[in-house]
Amino acid sequence: MAQATTQTVSISIPDKSAFSWKNLWIALAIITVFEIAVNVYERTFAFAKGLDYFTPDYQTYWMSILYTELILEPTTLIALCSWLWVTRDRAMENLAPAEELRRYWNLGLFVVVYTVLLYWGASYYTEQDGTWHQTVIRDTDFTPSHIIEFYQSYPIYIIAGVGSMVYAMTRLPQYAKAFSVPYAVLVGSPLMIFPNVGLNEFGHTRWFMEELFVAPLHWGFVMFGWGALAILGTWLQICPRVVELIKQVYYGKPATPPAVVLNDPEKATDPALCEV
Amino acid sequence: MQQVAAEAEARALERKFDIVVLVSMFLAILSGFHIHQMLTAGDWSFWIDWKDRMWWPVVAPIMDITFPAACQAILWTKFKAPIGATFSCAGLFFGQWMNRYWNFWGWAHYPLNFVFPETLLPQAIVLDGVLMITNNFVVTALIGGELWGWLFYPSNWPMIAPYHVPVEYYGQLMSVADLIQYEYIRTSTPEYIRMVETGTMRNFAGGVLGVSAFFSGFCSVIMYFIWWYFGYFFGWTKFIKHSKV
Repeated sequence: MAQATTQTVSISIPDKSAFSWKNLWIALAIITVFEIAVNVYERTFAFAKGLDYFTPDYQTYWMSILYTELILEPTTLIALCSWLWVTRDRAMENLAPAEELRRYWNLGLFVVVYTVLLYWGASYYTEQDGTWHQTVIRDTDFTPSHIIEFYQSYPIYIIAGVGSMVYAMTRLPQYAKAFSVPYAVLVGSPLMIFPNVGLNEFGHTRWFMEELFVAPLHWGFVMFGWGALAILGTWLQICPRVVELIKQVYYGKPATPPAVVLNDPEKATDPALCEV
Repeated sequence: MQQVAAEAEARALERKFDIVVLVSMFLAILSGFHIHQMLTAGDWSFWIDWKDRMWWPVVAPIMDITFPAACQAILWTKFKAPIGATFSCAGLFFGQWMNRYWNFWGWAHYPLNFVFPETLLPQAIVLDGVLMITNNFVVTALIGGELWGWLFYPSNWPMIAPYHVPVEYYGQLMSVADLIQYEYIRTSTPEYIRMVETGTMRNFAGGVLGVSAFFSGFCSVIMYFIWWYFGYFFGWTKFIKHSKV
């Protein structure tokens, strides 16, 4: 009969700077400055230049923003994902525990950035769109609040969400050979809010000009918003592996080897791994 | 000595991960809950004249018990944190106030007392308390769900009461809330969706409110059950092999 044994292994402890907040603070500072600039632009030019689609000013102050977004956003997404893919780890089965832990830390910061941008898109700018529509008569699908909400804030959180997922898939054994259902929902469901704009705009253009936020036409956004709850499942997957790695790196306890996690990622989600 | 230092570093790293988990959870749940709330009960939340005695006490609690129930399902059963409802409602509250302050008031210049949101925090604390004390989601649904519906209007009443005072304006009897909405025209909301309280409702007056709260509690119980299982679904830790997709 096999007996359970406890082994202590010697592993180098990473430098504290491996788990720094610095990158997050830089990202948050950039996002904050950017969002303040967007809000200042809206306050300066939305009511002043954005009430009549057929004026030259509208083309200058608003459609030019839209065209810029439509070029920059897909370019950024492709560039980010390509860079993550080209620089991927090609030998994850040999990944050192300290390095794996550091990558989970990076992923955690990436997820925080994603949720900050999700907040700006799904919460702030979406309700701001309500402020706009209940004040201004519709004359175009590309009204100023849509140019910011639909075509700027949604694509930006999509870029961060997809980017974070590609980071995980290219650098962490748990995500390299299998799709995480909750992570796919966490990123994919809010992502679908953007295509749902097509339904929304078609409905408003054809037969629903007035603004009633609770109208069934809007419920597609609602359903896809539920997917944000998958953050719960995502962390339930990640936390046991992180705790296991901390125990290995700092306390010398044995942990599931990356080669095993690579082929059986659910093995690393056992809540028992979190026990002290 | 070296081991003691390593353990201190490990504990510090665990706390750092805790912060990352909590902040990202707060923001993600805030975002999902807010877009859900604003598009299923938002018009009642936006305007003081929509905070009526028949539909608001029914629609808002039923739509708003959703995320609290789902969060409780995971935060209580997996993290033993009895804060699921309060955590999600605090997030919603933050999201709503950010927009009401910066946009409804700061951009479109509606007065804040026209556009302030409802509060769900008292009911959320009760819901969390019931789950923590009973450690049973069925009892929480039956008792907590009913209380969720019943407590909604009383806990908001101190804020909205001044706007229900009757006034006579050019020979018409209306509430202060109605008067405000006449002064601040919502251009894109035509008359048929501007007056939320119907004539029948106003004739039956206070009697309807209790019935609305009772009905709201009944529906909240059912919604709690449904969304508790939604919470389980979103807390699923399944992987699907690339070869099977």
